[in-house]
Amino acid sequence: MVLIQFVNGLMEGMTLFLIASGLTLIFGVSRIINFAHGSLYMLGAFLTYELVQILAPGTLWGFFASVIVGAAIVSLIGVLFEVTALRRIYGADGLMQLIVTIALVLIVRDVVRMIWGPNSITVPMPDALAGAIVIGENYFPLFPIVVFAAGLVIVLAMIWVIYFTRAGILLRAGTDDRGMAALLGINERMIFTAVFAAGAFLAGLAGGLSAPYGEVNHLLDTTVIVSAFIVCVIGGLGNLYGALAGALVVGITKAMGVMYFPRLSMVLIFLIMAAVLIGRSLGRQGGSAR
Amino acid sequence: MLDLKKGGLAALAMAMLAGGHAVAADAPVKIGFAGDLTGACAALTEDELNAVKIGVDELNAKGGILGRKVELVIRDSQTKPDEGAKVARELIVDEKIDVLTGVCSSAVMLAESAVSGELKVPFYATIGSTQRANIELYQPYFWQAQANATMEAYAAAEYVAKKAEWKTIATMGSDYEWGHTSVAAFSERLKKLRPDVTIIDPIFPKVGETAMAPYITTALNTKPDAVFAALFGGSLGSLIKQGQGFGFFQRTNLVTLMTVDTLQSMGSAMPASNVYGIARAPFFALEQTPEVKAFIEKYRAAYKEYPTDWSINGYDGLMFYAAAAEHAKSVAPDAIIKAISEISYDGLRGKGLKVRAFDGQMNAPSYVGKATKVPEYDFPILTEIEKFPGEALMVSEDAIAAARKAAKK
Repeated sequence: MVLIQFVNGLMEGMTLFLIASGLTLIFGVSRIINFAHGSLYMLGAFLTYELVQILAPGTLWGFFASVIVGAAIVSLIGVLFEVTALRRIYGADGLMQLIVTIALVLIVRDVVRMIWGPNSITVPMPDALAGAIVIGENYFPLFPIVVFAAGLVIVLAMIWVIYFTRAGILLRAGTDDRGMAALLGINERMIFTAVFAAGAFLAGLAGGLSAPYGEVNHLLDTTVIVSAFIVCVIGGLGNLYGALAGALVVGITKAMGVMYFPRLSMVLIFLIMAAVLIGRSLGRQGGSAR
Repeated sequence: MLDLKKGGLAALAMAMLAGGHAVAADAPVKIGFAGDLTGACAALTEDELNAVKIGVDELNAKGGILGRKVELVIRDSQTKPDEGAKVARELIVDEKIDVLTGVCSSAVMLAESAVSGELKVPFYATIGSTQRANIELYQPYFWQAQANATMEAYAAAEYVAKKAEWKTIATMGSDYEWGHTSVAAFSERLKKLRPDVTIIDPIFPKVGETAMAPYITTALNTKPDAVFAALFGGSLGSLIKQGQGFGFFQRTNLVTLMTVDTLQSMGSAMPASNVYGIARAPFFALEQTPEVKAFIEKYRAAYKEYPTDWSINGYDGLMFYAAAAEHAKSVAPDAIIKAISEISYDGLRGKGLKVRAFDGQMNAPSYVGKATKVPEYDFPILTEIEKFPGEALMVSEDAIAAARKAAKK
């Protein structure tokens, strides 16, 4: 029982990380708190729904191909956002960022409702992943384990990109000292757009991967953005490892809390968040994408 | 500019002078629909409104209510209580509506009900179903044209009690008023019917929770024969989808809210067995009278989908109001309120629907059945359905009086 709850926590933590990573990446470089991140996640889920039907419903490759293609489309939409709206508000005050990104949230929500209607849709789970690994009396559901594995691959890929590629060097330079990077002739705008594309891709990926495991509807955006923020606050906005740690802490605390203190499990998470904020650790500062 | 204003005022004054009964006879009967067209309740409210529109057209085709044309005035309460109260007030004061309806969220419903009570305009609910509107927050211009939340939980308990092989029941509810009262009502009724059953202490996931795995594990850990879950929307969908990975539907049974829209959105993801649903008005379970068949056909032709529980109740609620108005020969608020407890109405959900004057509760039925995939529909439906008549589920007047007294303290 304890073991299963721990695994449950890990699984939820990974999903949370996938959502939060894009948010924190974008913030780290552009200092924009992108409230529309949840909208990109939602678009990822809806696009996966459409693509799965076209490609090969129920199959493993059909699902993953849909998720990746869906995320690529979301990434393009993210670039569109960046070029048309967000590019104009870098350096503006927080309120302006809030207004612009929330406007995007509302626009996306209405467009999604126009296209897919207000009812929830179900993204079919690949048949191969519908079952569970049963050890004795313990059931370990297969789908979240695979999502967890996919999440690990993404984490490793991100670390590789950030540390071992030129793009990663540029990214780190942009995060550490924007002015200096610009003086050295690095095209700041390109970096911002590229980071936004990457962040949107991650959001789309997270949305697509999680889609078969829950309800998908036009209100998914706000549900997601709130949990992503909790994770980012605990981990430190802009800090990728912090986001990973924060996500796992939230996931595991919640799962364990449900078992031991069912009435308190949500409170526990906010207590941790408060403790982190009070403890002046990374939470308030906002670290970099290191 | 000033002249124009004067002219307008003069015209208004003349209209008022000419007013009185002569104008009223030709004026339309105005139905104020202050519904949650956006926000969490949007999907349900849209289904309801679609059916109400059909109802209004039908009434007008037959010459309206009392020979007066029926007009629908629609406002969006955005699933927000303060917004609901605002638009309800606007509809009553500015639009001079004759009756208010449309609301879905319980919180918005209570806000609108307060306005209806204050301004003394009839208000009826066909989606929002909190029994608080019948008990401590009851006001005499309100009626509930469907089973309230407590009645539904009672229906579930009645159904579960008949499963002799079920000995241990786990309970779960959304962590707000509806989840808590549903679980409490279910447990209370089941304990009475089956003293031998063990009911596990409830767990309450937060509203809108979609990561259900920890709750599933906790519930399954008690080795229940069935889990009663007062969940809806995203939480319910997640429970069903995520439960499959835990062998939930091999190891236990789920008893939960299962209206037609949920059945449709679950589609092929619905487990093959072990899911039991409580419904309000599933079209496939209604007695297929010519009226029911005609309504389903008309709805499908207009909206290319089957009517949901919300559609059926929205239509039934409007037609009940029309019947009350015809009986009262008036749409004056007090005449309507008197009429609703005098008439017996035959609607889509069956014959003899009545409203109890004491608390404005209609003796509306609840349906409980087993979710099953069938070849006729591309979504699962409920089979082995039992229809529980409202009378058997309604809380007694004495109990309500006691609850009202307790709430005042």
